[in-house]
Amino acid sequence: MNKKISKKTLTKSFHKWYYGNLTCFSQEHMQTFGYLCAMLPIVEELYDTKEEQLKAIHTYTAFFNTEPQLGAVIVGITAGLEEARAAGTEDVDDEAINGLRAGLMGPIAGIGDSLVVGTVIPILLGIAMGMSTGGSPLGAIFYIIVWNLFAYFGMRFIFNKGYDLGGKAVEFLVGEKGEAIRESITMLGAIVIGAVAASWVSVKTAFTMTAAGAEEPFLVLQDTFDSVYPGFLSAGVIVFCWYLLAKKKISPLKVMLLLVVIAFIGVLIGFFDPNLQY
Amino acid sequence: MEISWLQAAILGLFACLSSMPGLGGTSFGNYTLGRPLIGGLVCGVVLGDIQSGILVGIAMQLVYIALVTPGGTVSADVRAVSYIGIPLAMIALKSYGLDAASLDGQSLAASFGTMVGTLGTVLFYGTATINLVWQHIGWKSVEDGDLSKLNIVNYVLPWISHIICSFIPVLIMCKMGAPMVDLIKEYLPMDGLAMKTLFTVGSLLPCVGIAILLKQIVVKASDFVMFFLGFTLAASLGINLVSATVIAGTFAIINYRIKMVMITKKASGSIDVDDEEDI
Repeated sequence: MNKKISKKTLTKSFHKWYYGNLTCFSQEHMQTFGYLCAMLPIVEELYDTKEEQLKAIHTYTAFFNTEPQLGAVIVGITAGLEEARAAGTEDVDDEAINGLRAGLMGPIAGIGDSLVVGTVIPILLGIAMGMSTGGSPLGAIFYIIVWNLFAYFGMRFIFNKGYDLGGKAVEFLVGEKGEAIRESITMLGAIVIGAVAASWVSVKTAFTMTAAGAEEPFLVLQDTFDSVYPGFLSAGVIVFCWYLLAKKKISPLKVMLLLVVIAFIGVLIGFFDPNLQY
Repeated sequence: MEISWLQAAILGLFACLSSMPGLGGTSFGNYTLGRPLIGGLVCGVVLGDIQSGILVGIAMQLVYIALVTPGGTVSADVRAVSYIGIPLAMIALKSYGLDAASLDGQSLAASFGTMVGTLGTVLFYGTATINLVWQHIGWKSVEDGDLSKLNIVNYVLPWISHIICSFIPVLIMCKMGAPMVDLIKEYLPMDGLAMKTLFTVGSLLPCVGIAILLKQIVVKASDFVMFFLGFTLAASLGINLVSATVIAGTFAIINYRIKMVMITKKASGSIDVDDEEDI
Protein backbone atom coordinates (compact mmCIF):
# COMPACT_ATOMS: atom_id res chain seq x y z
CA MET A 1 0.00 0.00 0.00
CA ASN A 2 1.70 3.16 -1.13
CA LYS A 3 -0.82 5.95 -1.25
CA LYS A 4 -0.17 9.60 -1.84
CA ILE A 5 -2.37 12.36 -0.54
CA SER A 6 -4.24 13.98 -3.42
CA LYS A 7 -3.94 17.72 -4.03
CA LYS A 8 -7.62 18.11 -3.32
CA THR A 9 -7.40 16.49 0.09
CA LEU A 10 -4.37 18.58 1.02
CA THR A 11 -6.25 21.75 0.13
CA LYS A 12 -9.24 20.57 2.12
CA SER A 13 -7.06 19.86 5.12
CA PHE A 14 -5.48 23.30 4.82
CA HIS A 15 -8.86 25.06 4.65
CA LYS A 16 -10.05 23.19 7.70
CA TRP A 17 -7.00 24.41 9.61
CA TYR A 18 -7.15 27.93 8.16
CA TYR A 19 -10.71 28.39 9.32
CA GLY A 20 -11.04 26.06 12.26
CA ASN A 21 -7.78 26.23 14.22
CA LEU A 22 -9.39 28.08 17.11
CA THR A 23 -13.14 27.72 16.63
CA CYS A 24 -13.56 25.23 19.45
CA PHE A 25 -10.92 26.61 21.80
CA SER A 26 -10.79 25.78 25.47
CA GLN A 27 -8.14 26.41 28.07
CA GLU A 28 -7.69 22.68 28.47
CA HIS A 29 -7.26 21.44 24.91
CA MET A 30 -6.64 24.71 23.04
CA GLN A 31 -6.10 23.91 19.33
CA THR A 32 -6.31 20.13 19.61
CA PHE A 33 -9.74 19.89 17.99
CA GLY A 34 -8.79 22.17 15.14
CA TYR A 35 -5.84 19.87 14.50
CA LEU A 36 -7.97 16.73 14.62
CA CYS A 37 -10.38 18.17 12.07
CA ALA A 38 -7.56 19.26 9.77
CA MET A 39 -6.02 15.77 9.84
CA LEU A 40 -9.35 14.00 9.36
CA PRO A 41 -9.55 14.21 5.54
CA ILE A 42 -5.93 13.10 5.23
CA VAL A 43 -6.38 10.11 7.51
CA GLU A 44 -9.60 9.14 5.76
CA GLU A 45 -7.89 9.13 2.40
CA LEU A 46 -4.75 7.28 3.46
CA TYR A 47 -6.38 4.45 5.38
CA ASP A 48 -9.17 2.23 4.11
CA THR A 49 -10.39 0.52 7.23
CA LYS A 50 -12.11 2.23 10.11
CA GLU A 51 -9.69 0.71 12.63
CA GLU A 52 -6.62 2.10 10.87
CA GLN A 53 -8.24 5.51 10.59
CA LEU A 54 -9.04 5.56 14.29
CA LYS A 55 -5.57 4.45 15.21
CA ALA A 56 -4.02 7.17 13.06
CA ILE A 57 -6.28 9.97 14.26
CA HIS A 58 -5.53 8.99 17.82
CA THR A 59 -2.01 10.35 17.39
CA TYR A 60 -3.43 13.83 17.08
CA THR A 61 -5.45 13.76 20.28
CA ALA A 62 -2.29 14.91 22.06
CA PHE A 63 -2.42 18.51 23.29
CA PHE A 64 -1.58 21.12 20.68
CA ASN A 65 -1.22 24.89 20.88
CA THR A 66 0.91 27.30 18.89
CA GLU A 67 0.57 30.51 16.88
CA PRO A 68 -2.01 29.07 14.48
CA GLN A 69 -1.03 31.06 11.40
CA LEU A 70 2.63 30.19 11.34
CA GLY A 71 1.59 26.86 12.87
CA ALA A 72 0.15 25.83 9.48
CA VAL A 73 3.68 24.66 8.69
CA ILE A 74 3.42 22.04 11.45
CA VAL A 75 0.12 20.72 10.09
CA GLY A 76 1.76 20.48 6.66
CA ILE A 77 4.72 18.56 8.07
CA THR A 78 2.50 16.05 9.87
CA ALA A 79 0.48 15.54 6.67
CA GLY A 80 3.73 14.47 5.02
CA LEU A 81 4.66 12.27 7.98
CA GLU A 82 1.26 10.60 7.99
CA GLU A 83 1.73 9.78 4.34
CA ALA A 84 5.10 8.22 5.16
CA ARG A 85 3.60 6.25 8.00
CA ALA A 86 0.80 4.93 5.79
CA ALA A 87 3.42 3.83 3.28
CA GLY A 88 5.07 1.81 6.03
CA THR A 89 8.22 3.89 6.46
CA GLU A 90 10.17 2.79 9.47
CA ASP A 91 10.67 5.08 12.46
CA VAL A 92 7.56 7.10 11.68
CA ASP A 93 5.25 6.20 14.51
CA ASP A 94 3.05 7.86 17.12
CA GLU A 95 6.02 8.90 19.16
CA ALA A 96 7.98 10.39 16.28
CA ILE A 97 5.03 12.46 15.04
CA ASN A 98 4.07 13.73 18.47
CA GLY A 99 7.67 14.38 19.44
CA LEU A 100 8.01 16.58 16.39
CA ARG A 101 4.72 18.36 17.07
CA ALA A 102 5.56 19.01 20.69
CA GLY A 103 9.07 20.13 19.81
CA LEU A 104 7.93 22.57 17.17
CA MET A 105 4.92 24.21 18.76
CA GLY A 106 6.99 26.19 21.25
CA PRO A 107 9.48 27.80 18.85
CA ILE A 108 6.81 28.36 16.19
CA ALA A 109 4.57 30.06 18.76
CA GLY A 110 7.46 32.29 19.80
CA ILE A 111 8.36 33.31 16.24
CA GLY A 112 4.72 33.61 15.19
CA ASP A 113 3.69 35.76 18.13
CA SER A 114 6.59 38.16 17.78
CA LEU A 115 6.84 38.22 13.99
CA VAL A 116 3.27 37.88 12.71
CA VAL A 117 1.13 39.19 15.55
CA GLY A 118 3.72 41.45 17.15
CA THR A 119 5.28 42.97 14.02
CA VAL A 120 3.49 42.40 10.71
CA ILE A 121 -0.01 43.15 12.02
CA PRO A 122 1.01 46.32 13.94
CA ILE A 123 2.92 47.60 10.88
CA LEU A 124 -0.12 47.06 8.66
CA LEU A 125 -2.41 48.60 11.27
CA GLY A 126 -0.03 51.54 11.64
CA ILE A 127 -0.13 52.24 7.91
CA ALA A 128 -3.90 51.69 7.87
CA MET A 129 -4.44 54.16 10.71
CA GLY A 130 -2.34 56.67 8.82
CA MET A 131 -4.55 56.23 5.76
CA SER A 132 -7.69 56.53 7.88
CA THR A 133 -6.72 59.83 9.50
CA GLY A 134 -9.74 62.08 9.66
CA GLY A 135 -12.15 59.16 9.59
CA SER A 136 -11.72 57.85 6.07
CA PRO A 137 -12.59 54.14 5.68
CA LEU A 138 -9.71 53.75 3.20
CA GLY A 139 -7.20 52.51 5.79
CA ALA A 140 -9.57 49.93 7.25
CA ILE A 141 -10.32 48.57 3.78
CA PHE A 142 -6.60 48.53 2.96
CA TYR A 143 -5.94 46.45 6.07
CA ILE A 144 -8.78 44.00 5.36
CA ILE A 145 -7.50 43.32 1.84
CA VAL A 146 -3.73 43.29 2.41
CA TRP A 147 -3.76 41.36 5.67
CA ASN A 148 -6.15 38.67 4.47
CA LEU A 149 -4.32 38.09 1.19
CA PHE A 150 -1.06 37.89 3.14
CA ALA A 151 -2.49 35.56 5.79
CA TYR A 152 -4.28 33.22 3.39
CA PHE A 153 -1.55 32.81 0.79
CA GLY A 154 1.22 32.94 3.37
CA MET A 155 -0.35 30.16 5.41
CA ARG A 156 -1.07 28.15 2.31
CA PHE A 157 2.51 28.52 1.18
CA ILE A 158 4.05 27.36 4.46
CA PHE A 159 1.51 24.54 4.77
CA ASN A 160 2.55 23.19 1.39
CA LYS A 161 6.22 23.79 2.15
CA GLY A 162 5.78 21.79 5.34
CA TYR A 163 4.25 18.92 3.38
CA ASP A 164 6.92 19.00 0.66
CA LEU A 165 10.00 19.49 2.77
CA GLY A 166 9.05 17.99 6.12
CA GLY A 167 11.36 19.02 8.92
CA LYS A 168 13.52 21.06 6.52
CA ALA A 169 10.72 23.60 6.19
CA VAL A 170 11.34 24.70 9.74
CA GLU A 171 15.05 25.16 9.21
CA PHE A 172 14.13 27.94 6.84
CA LEU A 173 12.31 29.65 9.68
CA VAL A 174 14.67 29.04 12.58
CA GLY A 175 17.99 28.85 10.71
CA GLU A 176 20.56 31.60 10.21
CA LYS A 177 18.93 33.00 7.11
CA GLY A 178 15.56 32.98 8.80
CA GLU A 179 17.05 34.81 11.73
CA ALA A 180 18.50 37.49 9.44
CA ILE A 181 15.09 37.99 7.85
CA ARG A 182 13.36 38.09 11.21
CA GLU A 183 15.83 40.57 12.64
CA SER A 184 15.39 42.85 9.64
CA ILE A 185 11.60 42.72 9.85
CA THR A 186 11.78 43.48 13.57
CA MET A 187 13.95 46.49 12.73
CA LEU A 188 11.35 47.67 10.24
CA GLY A 189 8.73 47.13 12.93
CA ALA A 190 10.63 49.18 15.50
CA ILE A 191 10.91 52.19 13.17
CA VAL A 192 7.25 52.03 12.11
CA ILE A 193 6.07 51.64 15.71
CA GLY A 194 8.12 54.71 16.59
CA ALA A 195 6.34 56.63 13.85
CA VAL A 196 2.96 55.28 14.97
CA ALA A 197 3.71 56.38 18.54
CA ALA A 198 4.71 59.88 17.47
CA SER A 199 1.70 60.27 15.17
CA TRP A 200 -0.99 59.05 17.54
CA VAL A 201 0.12 59.22 21.14
CA SER A 202 -0.34 62.64 22.61
CA VAL A 203 0.56 63.19 26.24
CA LYS A 204 0.56 66.88 27.04
CA THR A 205 1.01 68.84 30.22
CA ALA A 206 -0.93 71.95 31.18
CA PHE A 207 1.68 73.02 33.71
CA THR A 208 2.63 76.70 33.62
CA MET A 209 4.34 79.12 35.97
CA THR A 210 3.39 82.74 36.03
CA ALA A 211 5.37 85.38 37.91
CA ALA A 212 3.35 87.45 40.36
CA GLY A 213 1.58 90.28 38.55
CA ALA A 214 2.63 89.13 35.07
CA GLU A 215 0.02 88.39 32.42
CA GLU A 216 1.96 85.82 30.43
CA PRO A 217 3.39 82.74 32.14
CA PHE A 218 7.19 82.67 32.06
CA LEU A 219 7.24 78.91 31.85
CA VAL A 220 4.97 76.85 29.65
CA LEU A 221 6.31 73.38 30.35
CA GLN A 222 4.84 71.83 27.21
CA ASP A 223 6.61 74.37 24.99
CA THR A 224 9.87 73.78 26.82
CA PHE A 225 9.55 70.04 26.27
CA ASP A 226 8.74 70.53 22.61
CA SER A 227 11.80 72.68 22.10
CA VAL A 228 14.01 69.97 23.61
CA TYR A 229 12.51 67.08 21.66
CA PRO A 230 9.08 67.10 20.02
CA GLY A 231 6.87 64.52 21.68
CA PHE A 232 9.19 64.36 24.70
CA LEU A 233 6.42 63.62 27.19
CA SER A 234 4.74 60.96 25.03
CA ALA A 235 8.05 59.20 24.47
CA GLY A 236 8.85 59.48 28.17
CA VAL A 237 5.62 57.83 29.27
CA ILE A 238 6.07 55.06 26.67
CA VAL A 239 9.60 54.29 27.89
CA PHE A 240 8.33 54.40 31.48
CA CYS A 241 5.59 51.86 30.64
CA TRP A 242 8.13 49.70 28.80
CA TYR A 243 10.38 49.81 31.86
CA LEU A 244 7.55 48.66 34.11
CA LEU A 245 6.45 45.89 31.72
CA ALA A 246 9.79 44.54 30.58
CA LYS A 247 12.14 45.28 33.46
CA LYS A 248 9.83 45.19 36.48
CA LYS A 249 7.63 42.42 34.99
CA ILE A 250 4.42 44.19 35.94
CA SER A 251 1.29 43.02 34.10
CA PRO A 252 -0.29 45.37 31.52
CA LEU A 253 -3.46 45.62 33.60
CA LYS A 254 -1.54 46.81 36.66
CA VAL A 255 0.38 49.33 34.54
CA MET A 256 -2.96 50.66 33.30
CA LEU A 257 -4.21 50.98 36.89
CA LEU A 258 -1.02 52.80 37.83
CA LEU A 259 -1.67 55.23 34.96
CA VAL A 260 -5.11 55.91 36.40
CA VAL A 261 -3.47 56.85 39.70
CA ILE A 262 -0.88 59.02 37.93
CA ALA A 263 -3.62 60.70 35.90
CA PHE A 264 -5.63 61.40 39.05
CA ILE A 265 -2.69 62.95 40.92
CA GLY A 266 -1.65 64.81 37.78
CA VAL A 267 -5.09 66.36 37.42
CA LEU A 268 -5.15 67.26 41.13
CA ILE A 269 -1.88 69.19 41.01
CA GLY A 270 -2.65 70.73 37.63
CA PHE A 271 -0.02 68.87 35.64
CA PHE A 272 -2.71 67.40 33.40
CA ASP A 273 -5.76 69.34 32.35
CA PRO A 274 -7.73 68.20 29.33
CA ASN A 275 -9.50 71.60 29.24
CA LEU A 276 -12.94 70.15 28.96
CA GLN A 277 -16.05 72.12 28.31
CA TYR A 278 -19.48 71.46 26.98
CA MET B 1 -28.27 58.29 19.69
CA GLU B 2 -30.33 55.11 19.93
CA ILE B 3 -29.27 51.70 18.72
CA SER B 4 -32.15 49.64 17.31
CA TRP B 5 -32.61 45.93 18.03
CA LEU B 6 -31.63 45.12 14.48
CA GLN B 7 -28.43 47.15 14.67
CA ALA B 8 -27.56 45.61 18.03
CA ALA B 9 -28.19 42.12 16.62
CA ILE B 10 -25.89 42.74 13.64
CA LEU B 11 -23.15 43.92 15.99
CA GLY B 12 -23.78 40.82 18.11
CA LEU B 13 -23.23 38.63 15.07
CA PHE B 14 -19.94 40.36 14.31
CA ALA B 15 -18.92 39.80 17.93
CA CYS B 16 -19.45 36.04 17.43
CA LEU B 17 -17.22 36.10 14.36
CA SER B 18 -14.48 38.31 15.68
CA SER B 19 -13.52 37.04 19.08
CA MET B 20 -10.52 34.96 20.01
CA PRO B 21 -11.68 31.88 19.79
CA GLY B 22 -14.06 33.21 17.16
CA LEU B 23 -16.21 31.79 14.44
CA GLY B 24 -14.74 33.87 11.65
CA GLY B 25 -11.50 31.92 11.95
CA THR B 26 -8.26 33.30 13.35
CA SER B 27 -7.05 35.37 10.42
CA PHE B 28 -10.32 36.79 9.18
CA GLY B 29 -12.23 36.76 12.47
CA ASN B 30 -9.88 37.65 15.28
CA TYR B 31 -7.12 39.42 13.34
CA THR B 32 -9.37 41.26 10.90
CA LEU B 33 -12.89 41.82 12.21
CA GLY B 34 -11.67 41.87 15.81
CA ARG B 35 -9.17 44.70 15.31
CA PRO B 36 -10.73 47.91 16.64
CA LEU B 37 -9.92 49.81 13.43
CA ILE B 38 -12.00 47.33 11.41
CA GLY B 39 -14.58 47.15 14.22
CA GLY B 40 -14.84 50.92 13.89
CA LEU B 41 -15.64 50.58 10.20
CA VAL B 42 -18.26 47.89 10.86
CA CYS B 43 -19.87 49.84 13.73
CA GLY B 44 -19.76 52.99 11.62
CA VAL B 45 -21.54 51.29 8.71
CA VAL B 46 -24.14 49.63 10.95
CA LEU B 47 -24.84 52.74 13.01
CA GLY B 48 -24.76 55.08 10.04
CA ASP B 49 -21.74 57.22 10.93
CA ILE B 50 -18.65 55.81 9.28
CA GLN B 51 -16.43 58.76 10.10
CA SER B 52 -17.02 58.64 13.87
CA GLY B 53 -16.77 54.86 13.82
CA ILE B 54 -13.34 54.92 12.19
CA LEU B 55 -12.08 57.70 14.47
CA VAL B 56 -13.22 55.89 17.61
CA GLY B 57 -11.75 52.68 16.17
CA ILE B 58 -8.36 54.37 15.69
CA ALA B 59 -8.38 55.65 19.28
CA MET B 60 -8.98 52.14 20.61
CA GLN B 61 -6.73 50.45 18.09
CA LEU B 62 -3.77 52.29 19.58
CA VAL B 63 -4.38 50.86 23.02
CA TYR B 64 -4.69 47.38 21.57
CA ILE B 65 -2.12 47.60 18.79
CA ALA B 66 -0.10 44.83 20.42
CA LEU B 67 -2.84 42.48 21.45
CA VAL B 68 -0.87 39.25 21.47
CA THR B 69 -2.37 36.32 23.33
CA PRO B 70 0.59 34.16 24.26
CA GLY B 71 -0.53 30.69 25.26
CA GLY B 72 -4.17 31.70 25.15
CA THR B 73 -4.13 34.19 28.00
CA VAL B 74 -5.85 37.45 27.22
CA SER B 75 -5.67 40.82 28.90
CA ALA B 76 -8.57 42.21 26.90
CA ASP B 77 -11.26 40.76 24.72
CA VAL B 78 -11.49 42.09 21.16
CA ARG B 79 -15.18 41.34 20.75
CA ALA B 80 -15.91 43.51 23.79
CA VAL B 81 -13.53 46.29 22.69
CA SER B 82 -14.75 46.39 19.10
CA TYR B 83 -18.45 45.61 19.34
CA ILE B 84 -19.41 46.87 22.80
CA GLY B 85 -16.75 49.52 23.46
CA ILE B 86 -16.92 51.26 20.08
CA PRO B 87 -20.75 51.58 19.90
CA LEU B 88 -20.88 52.83 23.51
CA ALA B 89 -18.06 55.29 22.89
CA MET B 90 -19.88 56.56 19.80
CA ILE B 91 -23.03 57.07 21.87
CA ALA B 92 -21.05 58.82 24.59
CA LEU B 93 -19.36 61.17 22.11
CA LYS B 94 -22.73 62.09 20.59
CA SER B 95 -24.24 62.56 24.01
CA TYR B 96 -21.43 64.79 25.25
CA GLY B 97 -21.36 66.63 21.96
CA LEU B 98 -17.68 65.90 21.40
CA ASP B 99 -16.00 65.69 18.02
CA ALA B 100 -14.54 62.21 17.47
CA ALA B 101 -11.58 63.77 15.66
CA SER B 102 -10.63 65.99 18.59
CA LEU B 103 -8.08 65.00 21.19
CA ASP B 104 -10.79 64.94 23.86
CA GLY B 105 -12.96 62.66 21.76
CA GLN B 106 -10.06 60.26 21.17
CA SER B 107 -9.24 60.23 24.89
CA LEU B 108 -12.81 59.50 25.89
CA ALA B 109 -13.02 56.69 23.34
CA ALA B 110 -9.76 55.12 24.54
CA SER B 111 -10.79 55.19 28.21
CA PHE B 112 -14.17 53.77 27.40
CA GLY B 113 -12.90 51.01 25.20
CA THR B 114 -10.22 49.93 27.64
CA MET B 115 -12.71 49.72 30.49
CA VAL B 116 -15.08 47.59 28.43
CA GLY B 117 -12.25 45.50 26.97
CA THR B 118 -10.87 44.65 30.37
CA LEU B 119 -14.27 43.65 31.68
CA GLY B 120 -14.75 41.68 28.46
CA THR B 121 -12.14 39.07 29.40
CA VAL B 122 -15.01 37.45 31.30
CA LEU B 123 -16.56 36.69 27.91
CA PHE B 124 -13.36 35.02 26.70
CA TYR B 125 -13.17 32.69 29.67
CA GLY B 126 -16.91 32.04 29.42
CA THR B 127 -16.65 30.95 25.78
CA ALA B 128 -13.61 28.77 26.42
CA THR B 129 -15.34 27.11 29.36
CA ILE B 130 -18.55 26.31 27.49
CA ASN B 131 -16.42 24.88 24.64
CA LEU B 132 -15.19 22.28 27.12
CA VAL B 133 -18.65 20.71 26.98
CA TRP B 134 -18.46 20.33 23.19
CA GLN B 135 -14.94 18.98 23.41
CA HIS B 136 -16.15 16.41 25.89
CA ILE B 137 -18.66 15.24 23.31
CA GLY B 138 -15.82 15.12 20.78
CA TRP B 139 -13.56 13.00 22.98
CA LYS B 140 -16.33 10.59 23.65
CA SER B 141 -17.08 10.10 19.98
CA VAL B 142 -13.40 9.49 19.16
CA GLU B 143 -13.22 6.91 21.90
CA ASP B 144 -16.37 5.26 20.60
CA GLY B 145 -14.80 5.09 17.17
CA ASP B 146 -17.09 7.63 15.55
CA LEU B 147 -15.10 10.30 13.72
CA SER B 148 -18.04 11.93 11.97
CA LYS B 149 -18.93 14.05 14.99
CA LEU B 150 -15.55 15.81 15.09
CA ASN B 151 -16.53 18.38 12.47
CA ILE B 152 -19.76 19.23 14.24
CA VAL B 153 -17.85 19.69 17.50
CA ASN B 154 -15.26 21.97 15.98
CA TYR B 155 -17.37 24.02 13.57
CA VAL B 156 -21.02 23.99 14.65
CA LEU B 157 -21.46 23.56 18.40
CA PRO B 158 -19.25 26.55 19.37
CA TRP B 159 -22.00 28.74 17.92
CA ILE B 160 -23.96 27.98 21.08
CA SER B 161 -21.06 29.23 23.22
CA HIS B 162 -21.03 32.41 21.18
CA ILE B 163 -24.75 33.03 21.34
CA ILE B 164 -24.41 32.95 25.12
CA CYS B 165 -21.09 34.77 25.50
CA SER B 166 -20.96 37.09 22.46
CA PHE B 167 -24.35 37.69 20.91
CA ILE B 168 -26.48 38.24 24.00
CA PRO B 169 -23.98 40.41 25.94
CA VAL B 170 -23.47 42.68 22.91
CA LEU B 171 -27.21 42.90 22.31
CA ILE B 172 -27.90 43.91 25.91
CA MET B 173 -24.97 46.31 26.28
CA CYS B 174 -25.75 48.12 23.03
CA LYS B 175 -29.41 48.52 23.96
CA MET B 176 -28.62 49.68 27.49
CA GLY B 177 -25.79 51.92 26.35
CA ALA B 178 -27.71 55.14 25.73
CA PRO B 179 -29.54 55.29 29.10
CA MET B 180 -26.30 54.32 30.84
CA VAL B 181 -24.32 57.10 29.20
CA ASP B 182 -27.05 59.59 30.16
CA LEU B 183 -26.80 58.43 33.73
CA ILE B 184 -23.02 58.85 33.80
CA LYS B 185 -23.39 62.28 32.25
CA GLU B 186 -25.83 63.35 34.92
CA TYR B 187 -23.62 62.30 37.81
CA LEU B 188 -20.22 63.18 36.42
CA PRO B 189 -19.98 66.72 35.06
CA MET B 190 -17.37 67.38 32.38
CA ASP B 191 -15.34 69.87 34.42
CA GLY B 192 -15.25 67.59 37.48
CA LEU B 193 -12.22 65.74 38.72
CA ALA B 194 -13.53 62.30 37.69
CA MET B 195 -14.04 63.28 34.06
CA LYS B 196 -10.73 65.10 33.84
CA THR B 197 -9.01 61.99 35.18
CA LEU B 198 -10.90 59.79 32.75
CA PHE B 199 -9.78 61.90 29.79
CA THR B 200 -6.20 62.09 31.01
CA VAL B 201 -6.12 58.31 31.41
CA GLY B 202 -7.42 58.05 27.86
CA SER B 203 -4.45 59.99 26.56
CA LEU B 204 -2.00 57.90 28.61
CA LEU B 205 -3.40 54.45 27.76
CA PRO B 206 -2.02 54.18 24.21
CA CYS B 207 1.45 54.35 25.79
CA VAL B 208 0.82 50.94 27.33
CA GLY B 209 -0.14 49.52 23.93
CA ILE B 210 3.05 50.80 22.33
CA ALA B 211 5.10 49.66 25.34
CA ILE B 212 3.78 46.09 25.05
CA LEU B 213 4.97 46.07 21.45
CA LEU B 214 8.34 47.47 22.44
CA LYS B 215 8.70 44.75 25.04
CA GLN B 216 8.67 42.25 22.17
CA ILE B 217 10.84 44.20 19.79
CA VAL B 218 13.49 45.66 22.07
CA VAL B 219 16.00 42.99 22.94
CA LYS B 220 19.07 45.16 23.18
CA ALA B 221 19.56 48.88 23.73
CA SER B 222 20.27 49.57 20.06
CA ASP B 223 16.73 48.46 19.19
CA PHE B 224 15.53 51.54 21.05
CA VAL B 225 17.51 53.68 18.60
CA MET B 226 15.35 52.31 15.78
CA PHE B 227 12.18 53.11 17.70
CA PHE B 228 13.37 56.68 18.29
CA LEU B 229 14.39 56.99 14.65
CA GLY B 230 10.78 56.33 13.72
CA PHE B 231 9.54 58.62 16.48
CA THR B 232 11.79 61.43 15.30
CA LEU B 233 10.78 60.98 11.66
CA ALA B 234 7.14 61.51 12.57
CA ALA B 235 7.35 63.92 15.52
CA SER B 236 10.18 66.23 14.44
CA LEU B 237 10.17 65.89 10.67
CA GLY B 238 6.43 65.40 10.24
CA ILE B 239 6.83 62.41 7.91
CA ASN B 240 3.63 60.37 7.55
CA LEU B 241 3.30 56.67 8.26
CA VAL B 242 3.49 55.33 4.72
CA SER B 243 6.66 57.32 4.04
CA ALA B 244 8.12 56.25 7.37
CA THR B 245 7.48 52.63 6.37
CA VAL B 246 9.43 53.14 3.14
CA ILE B 247 12.38 54.54 5.10
CA ALA B 248 12.08 51.69 7.60
CA GLY B 249 12.05 49.18 4.73
CA THR B 250 15.29 50.65 3.39
CA PHE B 251 16.99 50.17 6.74
CA ALA B 252 15.63 46.63 6.98
CA ILE B 253 17.01 45.68 3.56
CA ILE B 254 20.44 47.12 4.39
CA ASN B 255 20.42 45.20 7.66
CA TYR B 256 19.45 41.98 5.86
CA ARG B 257 22.26 42.36 3.31
CA ILE B 258 24.83 42.95 6.05
CA LYS B 259 23.61 39.90 7.96
CA MET B 260 23.77 37.73 4.84
CA VAL B 261 27.31 38.87 4.10
CA MET B 262 28.25 37.92 7.64
CA ILE B 263 26.67 34.48 7.25
CA THR B 264 28.39 33.68 3.94
CA LYS B 265 31.69 34.95 5.34
CA LYS B 266 31.37 32.72 8.34
CA ALA B 267 30.60 29.78 6.09
CA SER B 268 33.49 30.42 3.71
CA GLY B 269 36.28 29.41 6.01
CA SER B 270 38.56 30.20 8.89
CA ILE B 271 40.32 33.24 7.40
CA ASP B 272 37.73 35.57 8.83
CA VAL B 273 38.04 34.07 12.26
CA ASP B 274 41.74 34.98 12.19
CA ASP B 275 40.81 38.51 11.23
CA GLU B 276 38.60 38.84 14.22
CA GLU B 277 41.34 37.63 16.49
CA ASP B 278 43.67 40.34 15.21
CA ILE B 279 41.21 42.93 16.36
